[in-house]
Amino acid sequence: MTTYLYENDLVPQKYRILVAHRHDTLVRKIALELDIPVQELRRYLIEHLDMMLLENLPARAEMADVHADQDDPIARALGREKFTQYLQILPYAAMEPIFHEVSGRVHAGTPMEDAIAYGREKMREELRR
Amino acid sequence: MKRTVDVNIPLGPIHPCFKEPVRLKCEAKGERIVGVEVELGYMKKGIERIMKGRPWQEVMFLAERVCGICSVIHNMVFIEAMEQISGISVPPRAAYLRVIANELDRMQSHLLANFSYCYTIEHETLGMYLLDLREQVMDELEHLTGARVTCAYIIPGGVRCDIPRPDAELLQTSLDRIERDLRRYSGMFADGPMIALRSRGVGILTQEAAQQAHAVGPTARASGIAADCRLNHPTYRQLGFVPVSRKDHDNYARVMVRFDEVVQSIGLIRKCLQDLPKGVIRGGGVCKAGETRYSGEAPRGELTYFIKSDEYGRIVDIQIQTPSIMNIEACCHEMILGADSIADVTSTFVSADPCVACTER
Repeated sequence: MTTYLYENDLVPQKYRILVAHRHDTLVRKIALELDIPVQELRRYLIEHLDMMLLENLPARAEMADVHADQDDPIARALGREKFTQYLQILPYAAMEPIFHEVSGRVHAGTPMEDAIAYGREKMREELRR
Repeated sequence: MKRTVDVNIPLGPIHPCFKEPVRLKCEAKGERIVGVEVELGYMKKGIERIMKGRPWQEVMFLAERVCGICSVIHNMVFIEAMEQISGISVPPRAAYLRVIANELDRMQSHLLANFSYCYTIEHETLGMYLLDLREQVMDELEHLTGARVTCAYIIPGGVRCDIPRPDAELLQTSLDRIERDLRRYSGMFADGPMIALRSRGVGILTQEAAQQAHAVGPTARASGIAADCRLNHPTYRQLGFVPVSRKDHDNYARVMVRFDEVVQSIGLIRKCLQDLPKGVIRGGGVCKAGETRYSGEAPRGELTYFIKSDEYGRIVDIQIQTPSIMNIEACCHEMILGADSIADVTSTFVSADPCVACTER
């Protein structure tokens, strides 16, 4: 967003949203899943998502648990739709090469856990970029 | 994320078309909207924080003050959540009276939402007709509960007061008049060519996007998702409730779903009055310790209370997930994107019936 002198600093308000009980539980779960510190994930979310999306994160996560990546076990384990379309933490364009690489590794015989761990590492790199 | 855009247009926090203060920071490329960021914080009440540690007798009054437009459903969901925790049953007559109060509340909320939409697209004549109709519904709500907005009608184990036979007959007569007028006004909206120009094909929310954002209520039902919490409610199941849905996905569909739901509410109230069981309206009961998640269908969609109470019925922890959280998010990040003009931003935003008081709590 373009920044103006008269713009409010929304960081404290966004932080208050994220430390509410349900949001905090969700953020800690995602941080554990991606293996990154909670503080780092909070900062990423505050910088990249607007207040409304932050408020709606638990509802979106619930829908992701029910509907995201129903047909593909690799995509579900990696969180292909969950992190892009539902939670909108990663852009779709960044997630697709990671998914295809992980999928290729699994089909080439790499154990699923190792391939997903590799995918997670790539996702962390993307988040820290 | 910083992007280079042609124009950055802030709408609000004070805007003639918005009922409540909220700021939409729109990024436009020419006239086309390419991004919207929502800024909240202009009417935060911190009501969940105020509720914590208080007895249920105080919290039930606070709950209906979360929102001034759909106060009855906040009262109903909070009380039914406490009843679920404490195993309190409701007499059949009281259950039917709850439905009547809830449906009257839904009618006035939908009429107000459709008034706002007509006002936004500058069809003030129809808007004022709808506002006049809403006043008649508010009068009926006042007859039933004793108050227009903060009624506190629903209490654990029943309702506060009964409906005498003359009042029930008066309500029947009023419903006949309201339905006659409503059919005329919804026909004006449905067939108005200028209204169609501003409403059809504008603010598209696909079924997939609605599902991803967990859109609820008329916003979701206008996108072909026939989800409604009333399907899981025992009294509504007895009444044979079937949700209204459309597949147009646009502003027109959202307004028409609300019109259809008002007609449906009239039918439900008539059925309740016709089949109203005899008996007491208060069964009594004691609120106990426990934890639950309870959802009810507010006029805007699924309203969920997460409640934890102690053995004295005090609220230890409470979280409220209001429908506007999901609907405003879906509206700003899906419906408004790609709008062809700034004028469509306000009409699309209002078509989702946003309630900022509910969102900020």
